[in-house]
Amino acid sequence: MKTGKRRTTLTLPAESLCAAERIARTRKVNLSVVISEVIEEGLRARTEAKREGDRRLRIWETYRQSLSDLSEDQRVLLDGIVLSEPVNE
Amino acid sequence: MQQWVASYLKRYPWHVSAITLIERIRGYALLEAQSAPEQRESIGALRRLYLDAIGVVHPVDGAVALLAGELAALLPQPPSPPKRIHRLAESRQDRMVRWRCDILIAATALAASLPLVHQNPRDFETIRMVIETAPGWFPGLGPLNLVNVLRLTS
Repeated sequence: MKTGKRRTTLTLPAESLCAAERIARTRKVNLSVVISEVIEEGLRARTEAKREGDRRLRIWETYRQSLSDLSEDQRVLLDGIVLSEPVNE
Repeated sequence: MQQWVASYLKRYPWHVSAITLIERIRGYALLEAQSAPEQRESIGALRRLYLDAIGVVHPVDGAVALLAGELAALLPQPPSPPKRIHRLAESRQDRMVRWRCDILIAATALAASLPLVHQNPRDFETIRMVIETAPGWFPGLGPLNLVNVLRLTS
């Protein structure tokens, strides 16, 4: 993984750039600092979302496979259906 | 079905109604009580997996209660008889409870504007139809979007 800093040119939506400039002025930091932080946060959130999605899928797969070990009667019970010997009601 | 679930779960959490959670947890408790001692550990593990898989639990709040009350008045009786498998049968009382639970689950999906994934077309299609035919009772809501698990797997 490359570290350090590199220069580049970005084309950004005017509204986003204005918002970033306002934040930079308020915090008294360089615009590059604000843009870098936003990009890092976005990348982190994306990585976290992917990890969470993979986790959900892994759990679901394990759950689905475990359910197939149950009999029909047992699966029906899990669906909220309680079956018993019929009696005259 | 599996591909559909996989692509959904990669992006979104699993949403369930609090009523579904009640039904499932009751189901696990009854299943555990009826099982042989050597099977209880695996049922406990399955229960934990189910709880891990849940992302968002939707409560029965005022909006859901209001909608469920209207639906229960429009549809006082379940659209299908008690479930039977071989010699075993569901009691009429249990069927009525399950019907009311289905109404609450449908009301939850309707209030949250979420599609409802189900495996009980007779009950939920009946609810969907009454919402469409009596829109005056559900202003600004609906339609109730249903995703039938049985159709997805075929």
